[in-house]
Amino acid sequence: MIELDEVTRRYGRKVAVDRLSMRIAAGELFAFLGPNGAGKTTTIKMLVGLLWPSAGTVRVGGFDLVHQTREAARLLGYVPEEPFLYEKLSGREFLEFTGRMRGLAPAELARRIERQRNDFQLDAFLDALVETYSHGMRQRLAFASALLHEPAVLVVDEPTVGLDPRSVHALKELLRGRAAAGTAVFMSTHTLAVAEEIADRIGIVHEGRLAFLGTRDEVRRQMAHNGGSLERLFLRLTGDADAAPLPPTDQE
Amino acid sequence: MSQVEFASSRLAPAEPDVIPALTAPNAEAAALWQLRRRMIRTHLRQILSHSRLRLSLIVVLSALLWAGMFWLFADGFQFLESAISHVPTLHRTVGAVFSIFFAALLVMLVFSSAILIYSGLFWAKDAPLLLALPVRTQRVFLHKFQEALFFSSWAFFLLSSPMLLAYGVTKSAPWYYFASLPAFLLAFTYVPAAMGAIACVVVVRWAPRGRYHVLVAAVAVLVGAAAWLGWTVLTGPDGALFTPAWFRQILARMQFSQQSLLPSWWLSSGLLDAADRNWSESTLYLSLLIANALLLRQTAIWMAGRAYRAAYDRLQGRHVPRRAARPVWIDRALMRLVPLPLSVRLLLVKDLRLFRRDPVQWSQFLVFFGLLALYFLNIRRFGSNARQIAWVNMISFLNLSVVGLILSTLTTRFIFPMISLEGRRFWMLGLLPVRRETILWSKFLFAVGGSLLPCCVLVFFSDAMLGVPGFIQASHQSTCILLCLGLSGMAVGLGARMPNFRESSPSRIAAGFGGTLNLVASALYILTIVALTALPSHFYLLARHSLAGGFLAERPGVLWWLDFWLVAGIAASVVLGLATTILPLMLGIRALRRMEF
Repeated sequence: MIELDEVTRRYGRKVAVDRLSMRIAAGELFAFLGPNGAGKTTTIKMLVGLLWPSAGTVRVGGFDLVHQTREAARLLGYVPEEPFLYEKLSGREFLEFTGRMRGLAPAELARRIERQRNDFQLDAFLDALVETYSHGMRQRLAFASALLHEPAVLVVDEPTVGLDPRSVHALKELLRGRAAAGTAVFMSTHTLAVAEEIADRIGIVHEGRLAFLGTRDEVRRQMAHNGGSLERLFLRLTGDADAAPLPPTDQE
Repeated sequence: MSQVEFASSRLAPAEPDVIPALTAPNAEAAALWQLRRRMIRTHLRQILSHSRLRLSLIVVLSALLWAGMFWLFADGFQFLESAISHVPTLHRTVGAVFSIFFAALLVMLVFSSAILIYSGLFWAKDAPLLLALPVRTQRVFLHKFQEALFFSSWAFFLLSSPMLLAYGVTKSAPWYYFASLPAFLLAFTYVPAAMGAIACVVVVRWAPRGRYHVLVAAVAVLVGAAAWLGWTVLTGPDGALFTPAWFRQILARMQFSQQSLLPSWWLSSGLLDAADRNWSESTLYLSLLIANALLLRQTAIWMAGRAYRAAYDRLQGRHVPRRAARPVWIDRALMRLVPLPLSVRLLLVKDLRLFRRDPVQWSQFLVFFGLLALYFLNIRRFGSNARQIAWVNMISFLNLSVVGLILSTLTTRFIFPMISLEGRRFWMLGLLPVRRETILWSKFLFAVGGSLLPCCVLVFFSDAMLGVPGFIQASHQSTCILLCLGLSGMAVGLGARMPNFRESSPSRIAAGFGGTLNLVASALYILTIVALTALPSHFYLLARHSLAGGFLAERPGVLWWLDFWLVAGIAASVVLGLATTILPLMLGIRALRRMEF
């Protein structure tokens, strides 16, 4: 469903993403890890057509993101790290806007908004102005909007930032549920525990290059050779393991 | 999301095999128009329920401005009719006035549209959302273009409508002159807006790194051309004003604005023909304008379809080098030479650095004070004609008031929001071993220090060019100091008394109730303090003038009373100035001490 083929992206002389290749199938939950500045957000922006690769191709559902942007975009749902919502609209009006822009017929749109209202428990604030929403409410509305058209591909950038544990749990359930329903989910995150828990495959990017790509079982095998935790594996792969050794735990 | 559980089991299954159809162009347009309507409706409701004072002020002041301009233009056109008896010369004169006015607006609209559409297309927060939706690029562009068109041209309508209506009324123009006005103006605004939009997309697409250089070069060329034209048009013998020869000379110098390829000339010619009941020629010019507007609009849309996404990619994907931030001489001088407590000096240097590194702030200071300086330095021509001392005195006090009013807009826009903005940083400032009033005093010193020098220099320029007597100059300088102190004290004090910690945008904080109140109170303060010194000075000068002095001097003791009034006026202005400085600061300090962040 998602194909990145030898994708390179430069910012002037700086190479942000370097010959990145991967494929994510329908129904797969892919977690994309990496330190700050590793190229995660750049990759995501190329996945949704906001940035173009300097070299290589990005395809969603077989559509090239550069030349067939609209065709690819109708398959995509995107939740950025800081989702933009029109402050002077109510949540319902925002959903109506994104639904109409995605070509949903009025009756179908009303039905889907009603479904999102139930699924995301938006009742309490759906008709209030977005400017009065808390961070959690905004995040819920952003997800409801991104999933309104039942996208085949869901791209989420750092979805757990600023959420309390209960909300993180709910989010994990949501993402797993989407993947189980056949959606290809591409999630960038700093929260290693979330990735370890719910991802089917994990990719670790470092300085624009894919340092590791494997299934959850492969990750666990690697972890066994790297101190038993994804954190240690992550630190080793991103070059900081020796510089910042972890303190021993009480059990150790 | 704390109380929520996303019910994954209830989620409808994704349908990756079913590819939704692309949205129809009309549906895209309808959705975007609905979005706009809904946001405007919400804005209006909020303004009507929360900001009635501000709205009333804006409506009343705009209506007054419009009516004043209508009266001024009507009077001007009547003067031209009475001054120029030769009808063809009168026509040419009005044509030249229209052409130069619209040519100037044409250029300004190109720039303002380009800048507005640049921020709308590339930096607006909703741009990534719209570009990630399956919407045609041209539609996103058109949506932003319409916004830019509205925001760049409303002032054009406000400025041109009183002039054109006044002309129609003075000239007793036929009904179709008034009926075709909106079509003429709308078609005309499309032309520069589309030109600006095309220029913006082209520059960002093909020269993203050099976009500011292109803008600066264009502005430099424009300012140079305007200065040269201004110099060639306005320089001439003083004694020849408003004579037929003077009009002919001026008309010859204004020929550049009547090039037949300029849309501004089509507009002025079409309107003049309509007013002269030459409807066929007028319709021809209107058609010409509409045809060009539509062609340029389509060209802009076509260009956006080809280049907007690529331009967005190139701009967002450019390498932004880290800017080195080093202390400069003024920081070092403040730290070493100013005899203030260390904490105050540190706060001052911090605010100075924030100010210096934010071009939005210093560029507005530069533009406003630069324009005033330009006007004051060119005032000699008017001064030499205003031979009577009363006129010179009145103009000098009006100039002083203008300096105060400009300063009040700047203190409202930049100084008033400072405490509100500090609220967001209070986790840091609040934990420092610094008394809260120290923060307030540092803001006050920053405002006074930043405003005193430019304001006093401007007032000195004005007085020097007008040839104002020495003691009036001294009075102006002391009034100017009182204005700087009072306006700074009011902005800082009210800013602390009525903070808005929810907003991060200084312009929105300034546009709130507190900011509006500060602006209105500042204007009242300026008018009162200038009146207190201007009126006694006026009569004092009249009494000593060779003609009027005789009349006033005939009354016993009048000169003594005028002296007393002058001294009392100055003393009252000092008392008012000090009260306006200290009382708001005291209020602000008390509020800041009680404040919980």
